Amino acid sequence: MNANAMAAAAADRADERRLLKESVAAFVERCGGATRARAMRGRSPGFDRAVWREFADLGWLAVTLPEQYGGLGLSLTEMAVIAEELGGALAPEPVIEAITLAAGVLRHAGGSVADELLPPIAAGEIIPTLAWQESDGNFDPAHVAATATADTTGGIRLNGSKAFVPHADAADGFIVTARDEQGLALYWIPADAPGVEIVLRPLATGAMVGCVSMKQVEVAPTQRIAAGRHAADALHLAIDEATVMASAALVGLIGKALNMTLDYIKVRTQFGKPIGSFQAIQHRAVDLYIQCELAQGALGDALAAHTEAPRSKAAQAATSRAKARCSDVALLICREAVQMHGAIGFTDEYDLGLYLNRALVLAAWLGNSAQHRRRYAAIGNASTQEASA
Amino acid sequence: MIDWNAMGDEEFRQEVRTFFEQNYPSELRYPPHRLRWAEIKGWYMTLAAKGWLAPTWPTLYGGMGLNPTKFLIFIEEQERWGVARTPDMGMTMVGPLLIKHGTEEQKSYYLPKILRGEHLWCQGYSEPNAGSDLASLKTSAIIDRDEFVINGQKTWTTLAQDATHIFMLVRTDPQAKKKQEGISFLLVDCKSPGITVRPIPNIAGNEEFCEVFFDNVRAPRANIVGELNKGWTIAKAMLGFERITLGSPKQSQYALGRLEILARQRGCFDDPVFLDKFTALQLDVADLVSVYARFVDIVKRGETLGPDVSLLKIWATETYSRISSLMVETAGAAGAIVGKVDFGGEPVDVLSSFYYARPAPIYGGTNEIQRNIIAKEVLGLPS
Repeated sequence: MNANAMAAAAADRADERRLLKESVAAFVERCGGATRARAMRGRSPGFDRAVWREFADLGWLAVTLPEQYGGLGLSLTEMAVIAEELGGALAPEPVIEAITLAAGVLRHAGGSVADELLPPIAAGEIIPTLAWQESDGNFDPAHVAATATADTTGGIRLNGSKAFVPHADAADGFIVTARDEQGLALYWIPADAPGVEIVLRPLATGAMVGCVSMKQVEVAPTQRIAAGRHAADALHLAIDEATVMASAALVGLIGKALNMTLDYIKVRTQFGKPIGSFQAIQHRAVDLYIQCELAQGALGDALAAHTEAPRSKAAQAATSRAKARCSDVALLICREAVQMHGAIGFTDEYDLGLYLNRALVLAAWLGNSAQHRRRYAAIGNASTQEASA
Repeated sequence: MIDWNAMGDEEFRQEVRTFFEQNYPSELRYPPHRLRWAEIKGWYMTLAAKGWLAPTWPTLYGGMGLNPTKFLIFIEEQERWGVARTPDMGMTMVGPLLIKHGTEEQKSYYLPKILRGEHLWCQGYSEPNAGSDLASLKTSAIIDRDEFVINGQKTWTTLAQDATHIFMLVRTDPQAKKKQEGISFLLVDCKSPGITVRPIPNIAGNEEFCEVFFDNVRAPRANIVGELNKGWTIAKAMLGFERITLGSPKQSQYALGRLEILARQRGCFDDPVFLDKFTALQLDVADLVSVYARFVDIVKRGETLGPDVSLLKIWATETYSRISSLMVETAGAAGAIVGKVDFGGEPVDVLSSFYYARPAPIYGGTNEIQRNIIAKEVLGLPS
């Protein structure tokens, strides 16, 4: 392709993304935006399955899915457009959790379980979730205590406990990590499998997160999605991609929370003037705006790195960079937003709290900023050693 | 005449890189202070002989005629090799100013002398009571027949002690309704009777800026640039490129590299407290690089930079400042030693970054002013 054709193709892609962005924004607004997020708090499930099916009809659940599974075969950058808009609108549907993360593991692992599950997942009929972390909250995917052992009848028994499982109350099945003689393995277990017990805890948003314990849960060998190195690779990549999508959702949220605050300080009058005319407020608002721009930059670089070489050290580092920045910025902006709003910002009836709570959940999920800075440093050290070896 | 813009970007980059690597004096790479004329004259003349002194001037006037993309490559290569700034006010300010607003006489008299190193220019903007509020400047220029008579004081005038000429903003109409009106742009010979230049030592121990006193200094009326009382408009329009170069990540990247050397020698990477601080700065620089690239793309497309470019200057200079502080902290007892300190065979000048991080958020419009600009012009906050 020559330079002009490449520029034209890039312009076409930019146009398509803009259209996608507008259609997602319009749809989630029609669904009810922040009002719906408020109404869903404390409900189980904490989202609307009818809306989920509409997402499926619109193709949003199949954006990155290869065409062989009935997907659109688009890149993570298109998915990020959706994640950003859903994040900005506080949509409670667990698109990143169920699709980028859980279905992402299946997609990267491939095989018969994936062949069977991905089409109904893309159609919105099955909602999966990934149960990979355990009670210590370690976010290294290789850190697994749950076990998979062969029983005498040719089946496999899963034992152990998985924590921080998103929408555990609504999922139709779990993709669990367990340790067997090959190392890491991934299994699909239906939510109603005997021996599965779920204890729910509410998150700051009002959505439920589950602790899933497995006592002698019997699975057939055909429920094994992948094992060994192959399983670990699929898991790592899906977690990294979901981490980038969480960053995109945070970027959407950051923009909304900042604009909400800017709108407020332009009209809130004290001492006979809008408080946004005071330099002390203005300079703080500018610092938030700068952070917002940095978050967008970090997200853009992470998406570019995943487009270029998804499994590379560079992509992993860019992922951690984005999640660290976006998590910090979202919490900073929401805290500052509460302060600049004054007491009204601390009330439940005002929407700002919904943004703060969503920021808390997204920032803590898949590694917070401090954890991702440590990971970034570890990746950097590893690549320095590789280079010098 | 070479048409540099017709050259491929990579080919041009190699050409510039090779020239810098082969000709720039190695002892002057990454100097810890702004070089004086006696130190940098040789390099200035090397550039002059090569025809590379004025990268952005049109070839008609003896420049290289570089388009924005090529000029950014030129700057990147300078920064990459640690090539010091020359006394470049003639190239960056006076040349473009005269090419746009000067008379034919002014152009033909001044431009060649800049390119030959005969005229060194300094910038007479700030005054003791006109810093961020520059438009309140008081130095007056009263018309007396065919001359201006100048009285007043300029300050923070960088390298005025080496300059042969000063371009300055003066008040020509004290009765103007708005303070921005009534200001004119003047060119003055520093040898004129009545001019006194006094260097001001800075806290780094260097004499880089000066105060300049004007006591009944006479300058020909022909030395005005543009119309009488329209100097403010001209000065504002000159900001252009400066706003992106002040936001370059190179200074921070270089300082971070020095900090890494120092910290490795001290075994600080085993300290989780240090590691988190260092990594946070690495991320700050990485994010600066990507925001900088976004603005560079705007320039490359030939579009005008918006007021949001101010965020670059704020983030670049404040990141640099945080790195320099961590460098001092990491050096421990060596953090107060002047000059290069040997850290396991790697000499690092700990204090020079720290000192140079002080004026960075002040010059080119303080970061407070930059925040005011963003607040009003980008965020639309009320006044």
